Amino acid sequence: MKRFILGATLALFTVGGVHAGKATAGMRLGAPSFRSMGSLTFGPEGILFIADTKAASIVAVSTDDTKPGKAASSLKLVGLEKKIAGLLGTEPAQILIEDMAVNPVSGNIYLSVSRGRGPEATPVLVRVKGESEIELVALEKVHFSQVALPAAPAESTTGRSNPRLESITDLAFQDGRLLVAGLSNEEFAATLRSIPFPFKDTSNPTSVEIYHGAHGRFETRAPIRTFVPFMIGKEAHVLAAYTCTPLVQFPLSAIKPGAKIQGKTIAELGNRNRPLDIISYQKDGRVNLLMANSSRGVMKIVTDNLDKAEPITAPVPDKKGVGYETLADWKNVDQLDKLDNKTAVVLLREESGAMSLETRPLP
Amino acid sequence: MTPRAGQSITLRWVPGPHGSNRASVEVSGLPRAAPLKVFAGEQRETPMAGTYRVRNNTGIFEPRFSLMPGTTYYAISGTVSVSFRLPARGPTPPTRVVQVYPTADRLPLNLLKFYLHFSAPMSRGDSYRHIRLLKAGNTPVELPFLELAEELWNPAMTRLTLLFDPGRIKRGVKPLEDIGGALEVGKRYTLEIGSRWQDGQGAPLAAPFRKTFLVSVADRTAIEPSRWRIASPKTGSHSPLVVVFNEPLDHALAQRLLNVEGMQGTVALDDHERRWCFTPDKPWEHRRYVLRASPLLEDLAGNNIGKTFDVDTTRHPAPFRSAPLRLQFTPR
Repeated sequence: MKRFILGATLALFTVGGVHAGKATAGMRLGAPSFRSMGSLTFGPEGILFIADTKAASIVAVSTDDTKPGKAASSLKLVGLEKKIAGLLGTEPAQILIEDMAVNPVSGNIYLSVSRGRGPEATPVLVRVKGESEIELVALEKVHFSQVALPAAPAESTTGRSNPRLESITDLAFQDGRLLVAGLSNEEFAATLRSIPFPFKDTSNPTSVEIYHGAHGRFETRAPIRTFVPFMIGKEAHVLAAYTCTPLVQFPLSAIKPGAKIQGKTIAELGNRNRPLDIISYQKDGRVNLLMANSSRGVMKIVTDNLDKAEPITAPVPDKKGVGYETLADWKNVDQLDKLDNKTAVVLLREESGAMSLETRPLP
Repeated sequence: MTPRAGQSITLRWVPGPHGSNRASVEVSGLPRAAPLKVFAGEQRETPMAGTYRVRNNTGIFEPRFSLMPGTTYYAISGTVSVSFRLPARGPTPPTRVVQVYPTADRLPLNLLKFYLHFSAPMSRGDSYRHIRLLKAGNTPVELPFLELAEELWNPAMTRLTLLFDPGRIKRGVKPLEDIGGALEVGKRYTLEIGSRWQDGQGAPLAAPFRKTFLVSVADRTAIEPSRWRIASPKTGSHSPLVVVFNEPLDHALAQRLLNVEGMQGTVALDDHERRWCFTPDKPWEHRRYVLRASPLLEDLAGNNIGKTFDVDTTRHPAPFRSAPLRLQFTPR
């Protein structure tokens, strides 16, 4: 749902050549199997990363959707669940939209969808083309590669498989690496993994624990809810949002095997709030962030002085640090992505409870 | 399923193998590809995905997905419409909450999580709407739990892990100082699970579930295996190895992360997760055995062996155990 293509990754785009690109090297042709589809993010050359939370793995799929398209800059699709339910031959109540990502090359919008809400649910990938066309993305014959998240060996003798299933809370692609934030469903262990791409059989993902200095104490093990790779000065960083709602930065270069990273809390964005999604974009020579959250309109953060931001190390009143503006008319936004440098795509819940998908000018 | 003719077109639903929930549509009387669409339910906006092929002047449409029992499907070509419906599933016993862990009725201020166990698979997507933490006067506590869109289910979807928001447990963290913890010492709370929560078949729960507990002081000490009591089993018997902890441990982790090296058997926890019993598949020999405890074991507040939940490990990196603890015992 978020990507960062300023800088080096842009050079990887080789439009036109199918599977000739570096990123698809080593992929095999076939039907990847999915037990679930959750977080989505695009890498180079139309490659879509799909988090399979139930299988604790990530699948990279070459979408072949590499032709620049006509951006649907005035999209408004209301009653999205009803439309998807029709396509999948089920009731709207059985549709769960898990995540949304825009292919930066074609401008097509991809949705990971669950057909059903129980354990027998079928994961499905859906694409919104142009202004209104919704189609199923066929995955029976695609170039793909897959990486399993390392899970602790099951020591138990009860024979349950993968009891420590890890929930993947967010994905992002940056500088040839896939970043994966996760949380185990038994041990309280939040991690951020960095997986080199193309995936190698022997790849040993780097896993780190992140601490952020705040309030004179250090929080441990709080899970990252959403994050975005991001440039501060000339160094690539990750900016991560936690629940209740510190915004924490740490340099990408710090993600090394076994590292324990201490992040820097640069903002407290107020209480009683859950971050949902975050994107970065450029406007008028500035880099801005948009963060969707559970309690108010989307928050816009101008990042001019992030490199000079003072860490928050003492208890603060409600909000502190880098300031933000609340976009009052961007309410009930669940997911965000960037269509281009001027337009955002938002997935939002209408007052009727139905989900809709629309484009809006980036503020 | 009765063919119906309109002009020259005939449509027919062909059920798939018994029990498969699949069906296809046959179209005859059309020389070329038929303008055939299949719709789920009464909407006529989005046709169902599927493949269409023509063989011997008969078109066959195979829906991409299996059909939902109880939903009516319509195959429509021109003015001809033929419907098809798989019978709705028969009644099954209603799903209920079978247990909530921890089972004790006194829980520490910094309790980390509940496990909700159900008798059958549940549905996900809006789980947190059905869970409330009530304080005195049945007033709900505001946002006590970490609400993750992913929802932490086991693969069978019969167990949900419900984490307290860590921002409301850890010392020195702003929400805790500001709005206080989710819980207060000496007060009584009720975890309430609403019966409108649907199971995997879309049916509501048999009844609401309530667990009332009293909050005791915070537990900020690491797990101390030196305070466990190990009762050695009798040589030659299948009697269980019993380990009594000095405090309740996390139910799921104590089942998985404590084991006897080289031995298969069954694990049971009782006495409010303070007593761990391991019954071996083969009788005990008169020799030394090793009880292995993973450093990832947690007590109810997320403290591990040798490490408390919110220790500052960048300042106090010392005892960060990564190897399992090995406790020896010899059957009597």
